[in-house]
Amino acid sequence: MVSRAAKVDAVIVGAGAAGSLFAARLARAGRKVVVLEAGPAWELADLASSQIWARRLKWGGAPVVHAGGQPGFPHNLNTGWGLGGAALHHYATWPRLPEAAHAMQSGFGKGADWPFEAAALRPWYDRVQADVGLSGDAAAEPWRPPGDAYPLKPLREFAQGHLLRGGFEALGLPVAPLPAAILTDWFKGRPPCQYDGWCDAGCPIGALANPLVTHLAEARRHGAEVKARATVLRILPDGAGRAAGVVWADSVGDEQVQQASVVILAASAIQTPRLLLASAAPEWPAGAGNARDLVGRGLMVEAVAQAAGLFDRATENHLGVSAGQLMHRAVPGDGRNRPFGGYQWQVGPSLKPSDIFGIAATRPELFSDALHRFLHDGSRNLATMVGMAEQLPDPANRILLDSRRDRFGVPLARIVHRHDAGTLALQRHVAAEGEAVVKASGAREAWSAVLGGGHPAGGTPMGSDPDRSVTDPFGRVHGIRNLFVTGSGLFPTTAGTSPTFTLMALAERAAAELLDHWSDHA
Amino acid sequence: MESSRRTLLAATLGGAAGLGLLPFLLGGCTELMTPEEAKARKVPLRTLSEAEALALERFGDVLLPGAKTAGIAHFVDHHLGVPAEESLLMLRYLDVPPPYAGFYKAGLAALNEHAKGRFGKAFAGVDDGRATAIVADIIKSQPSDWNGPPAPFFTFLVRSDAVDVVYGTRAGLARLGLPVMAHLEPEREW
Repeated sequence: MVSRAAKVDAVIVGAGAAGSLFAARLARAGRKVVVLEAGPAWELADLASSQIWARRLKWGGAPVVHAGGQPGFPHNLNTGWGLGGAALHHYATWPRLPEAAHAMQSGFGKGADWPFEAAALRPWYDRVQADVGLSGDAAAEPWRPPGDAYPLKPLREFAQGHLLRGGFEALGLPVAPLPAAILTDWFKGRPPCQYDGWCDAGCPIGALANPLVTHLAEARRHGAEVKARATVLRILPDGAGRAAGVVWADSVGDEQVQQASVVILAASAIQTPRLLLASAAPEWPAGAGNARDLVGRGLMVEAVAQAAGLFDRATENHLGVSAGQLMHRAVPGDGRNRPFGGYQWQVGPSLKPSDIFGIAATRPELFSDALHRFLHDGSRNLATMVGMAEQLPDPANRILLDSRRDRFGVPLARIVHRHDAGTLALQRHVAAEGEAVVKASGAREAWSAVLGGGHPAGGTPMGSDPDRSVTDPFGRVHGIRNLFVTGSGLFPTTAGTSPTFTLMALAERAAAELLDHWSDHA
Repeated sequence: MESSRRTLLAATLGGAAGLGLLPFLLGGCTELMTPEEAKARKVPLRTLSEAEALALERFGDVLLPGAKTAGIAHFVDHHLGVPAEESLLMLRYLDVPPPYAGFYKAGLAALNEHAKGRFGKAFAGVDDGRATAIVADIIKSQPSDWNGPPAPFFTFLVRSDAVDVVYGTRAGLARLGLPVMAHLEPEREW
């Protein structure tokens, strides 16, 4: 038996960064909001400082299926599970999208254009950073589009950052303090960072802007109802071309209907297309918003590189934040000689011995006593940096529905993805550049590696042309006026940029549009 | 100032410092003990067979000496016996589809078969030099007779498990001379 709750103004699917911001804005405006999150109801007290326990925060829902059997990128590592979503364990690297990224097709004949210029996004970036509290040094970032200065001073620089800064400067490559949604002073009742490097396990003091202390908390204060262990199964059509609400299952599998005037999908670049495709109905025979077979296409995954080195002096790599201390950026069209595309370096992340970005993982070929020795040496003398290289959208990289289903009967997401030759060439360039930087920093031993992928984006790109995009420039699904998508799935391109600040700015912009023109959408 | 805030947070939010205890079922009763104690007291494994545990302990110890004593078999066995979303094994987020027990069992079976084919004995029974030779090969490439999950990937994951149990805890960080600086102590190490 399906139970039905009273109709609300908005139902939001997913309690991550974008969904929580949407919830906060709508609830603050007096709208009745329900947030449905598939994972558990994390609290700050769950964020134990342990790389082992940190794994609970990574995706634990329905498995994804990788075409060919081999993951092109680790989906579970890149997504979240429970209240806060991926933003609960994200590293809070918050650069703005470079101006050039907005016009990749018209400027370079590559990828796609964003449906608006960078200037249109500036006020929303400014509003989010003033709300959340960002640290950094805007004047030190030559790649940064115009915008307000950061409200907080930069993160502290420790020996690791100082050493690697020297390498960048020796090669004539600019570096700047890493722009971060991590507090360096008290801000709206939240304390500053302690630089103990446990960001990946979640920040229980709230110095790092996770939704539990920012927008999810705000949404709850304004009356939003937040339900965990609530898995949305499909979007309901209303018979008149709109969404009537969603069907969701509770923890024991009982189905319930939540009717809403507006449905907002904030379930990640993988799960949102899955949900749209799984919502096939007589009105939407190929899935919601998929009349042109565009839902799920154009998945982009940044190609990751790492450079590392051992030094003859202590690098203090146990201090700092998981994101790093410094940033270097290369933006499309900057005139530098390299394979096409943008990328970023996150320089000097805090390190722990274990886990995927831990000390041991930087030398996967070592074992036995050599691994012991390396761990002891590396704990004192290792410095690393992580690069993210852009992948351009390719319709062949996509999310589909698999023939296998989850425990609720919903088809699993099938990921078809590969990095093309251009992306791989850029990734190799990034790795080589990183190794050169580490050598120039004075390391006694330097090496680099190309790793998998991160920061999935695209799949539900926004645009003005319904023949080329899934949503309009505000994230409203073409042809379904009260169905919105939010999150990195909207990105037409990425320029190799950490996505969270941009997806927050887009959510802020879309929420304002929705509230200002409610009757046009609802 | 920072130290006092950390202490306060630990007291108010996190509970007592982790002692490395896990709930193990022994004689019909659940007792808290370390994996090392559980091994010494012959606590039955829930998912791995005795032969699989022996292979895993040996494999872990070759990859990182000390992993056997630190309880790698009980660590892995415990997390293979809980729902996938509660598992704290690193393979959880490398998109290995659950249930995870099949991955480990297949990997250990492939390791044993490879050892038998090469040296006539299961992996736990080959001498140190031969065990090291096997690991030196499979850490970087797939043997032609390997019938299981990709050998370098499986090795990478068991190596990660070994690093977890030897160095991933408060005691392990201390062995490296690193301050833990926890915001919140986990209620147990894993």
